Amino acid sequence: MNKELISQAVAHRFEEVCARGSQLEPDRFGEMGEFVSAARNTLLNFRAADRESSGSPAVGEYWLDADGDCLDSLRTFSLGEVLPTWPGPHPPVEGFLQDLKHTVRHRAPLFKLLIERYAYAPNFSFGPEDDVREFVLMRLMVADRARIEDASIANVDSNDLLLKLNLVAIHAAATTDLRFLDALNYYYELLPATWYPDVENGWLVTSYLALYARALMFWS
Amino acid sequence: MRIGILANSLPAARHIYDEAKPAAGSDLFVLLCPTHGRSPAPDLVRHFARLILKTGRWKSLRMMAAGKIVRLAKPLDDSETVAQLAAMRFDIGLHKSGNIYREATIECFRLGILNAHIGLLPKYRGRSVMEWSLLQGDPVGISVFFVDEGIDTGQRIVMSETVDVSHCKSISEAKEYLFGLDGQFYRAAIERLQAEETTYQENDGSGRRYYVMSRLFQGVAEKCLAARRSTS
Repeated sequence: MNKELISQAVAHRFEEVCARGSQLEPDRFGEMGEFVSAARNTLLNFRAADRESSGSPAVGEYWLDADGDCLDSLRTFSLGEVLPTWPGPHPPVEGFLQDLKHTVRHRAPLFKLLIERYAYAPNFSFGPEDDVREFVLMRLMVADRARIEDASIANVDSNDLLLKLNLVAIHAAATTDLRFLDALNYYYELLPATWYPDVENGWLVTSYLALYARALMFWS
Repeated sequence: MRIGILANSLPAARHIYDEAKPAAGSDLFVLLCPTHGRSPAPDLVRHFARLILKTGRWKSLRMMAAGKIVRLAKPLDDSETVAQLAAMRFDIGLHKSGNIYREATIECFRLGILNAHIGLLPKYRGRSVMEWSLLQGDPVGISVFFVDEGIDTGQRIVMSETVDVSHCKSISEAKEYLFGLDGQFYRAAIERLQAEETTYQENDGSGRRYYVMSRLFQGVAEKCLAARRSTS
């Protein structure tokens, strides 16, 4: 692995992501404006942040449960905060994977399924979830990418796309598998720099940038 | 062995035809496949235009006169095409088209369809694998394997060999160089398959599927290639 060359490129991209994120306009996110404002400040202050405190929230040997839902945990981690957790039963992977594939076959978004399973978002990075991560990465880098490149960003479900990017960003900071970080790199280059998705969870664009910046910090 | 080169255009197939002919003998054919999503008429016009405009037209005409070029009018997974291919009783197909093959099409070829993949299997499946190999400090190479319906998941690898690309000045040049070696690799694979006992390396799923690479990492891969050049 050419760590030094990768590290240099990633450090440069980190600066770009922080700059893009800090230009987000909180007023355009409705009642989530306060969160966006806080995330923007986090991005602005990242430069001084201690690398030790960066990266993904701890993913233990166990499936973890926490108060709140997936979207709550994404907001929390994108601000660099932590949630109290406790071990919980790991739901079977195979049935869930079949549900994802079935949903895709019916051209429906995965959003609901993903937020239900990953009520504590870092569980996406839990070891035995490998097949799910591969599936999500493949959807992002094949079907979603092709739809955007062949037509436009309007051709995909923005909630769905952004949730997948957030989950991939959580994992990118916890793994040495560079494909996940590069999926974020690719989408950073693909998505419009000033994109304000007009959907219920449009604020996920902010948490995606903040979590992406954390993943980059992990590699820089 | 009776071999069919599956290609979308004659110029794309011809260098493989030339390379593979010494190994395949007279039973080598070019199967012109329709371009995905296009109606047959524009394809026919394109084939004709290439025949007129591209170099090597006399050779192409000779191949046509010898009955070595078969135009498949319908998509590869269409039942008519499958029946047409099955009737031709090929031993091996050589992949040079933009198609992903369905099981029914693959089964028309006694041994299967070979793909010359510009990555070392089983580790590197999917897209941009040469760039990913450079980025991760691994050798670059070509694998010839029998396809299945998945993305580079066919179990039987006929050969997987490293190729030095350090003389190439850019990623695009290195890729072009590797793609240009497909005829040689197909020929070598056919020769191995003609040997009495062929042993396959297993594509055991131990590798990863890679995807198209970002511009950021492509830039890093370019630097990795330059570093190899300077140390070679």
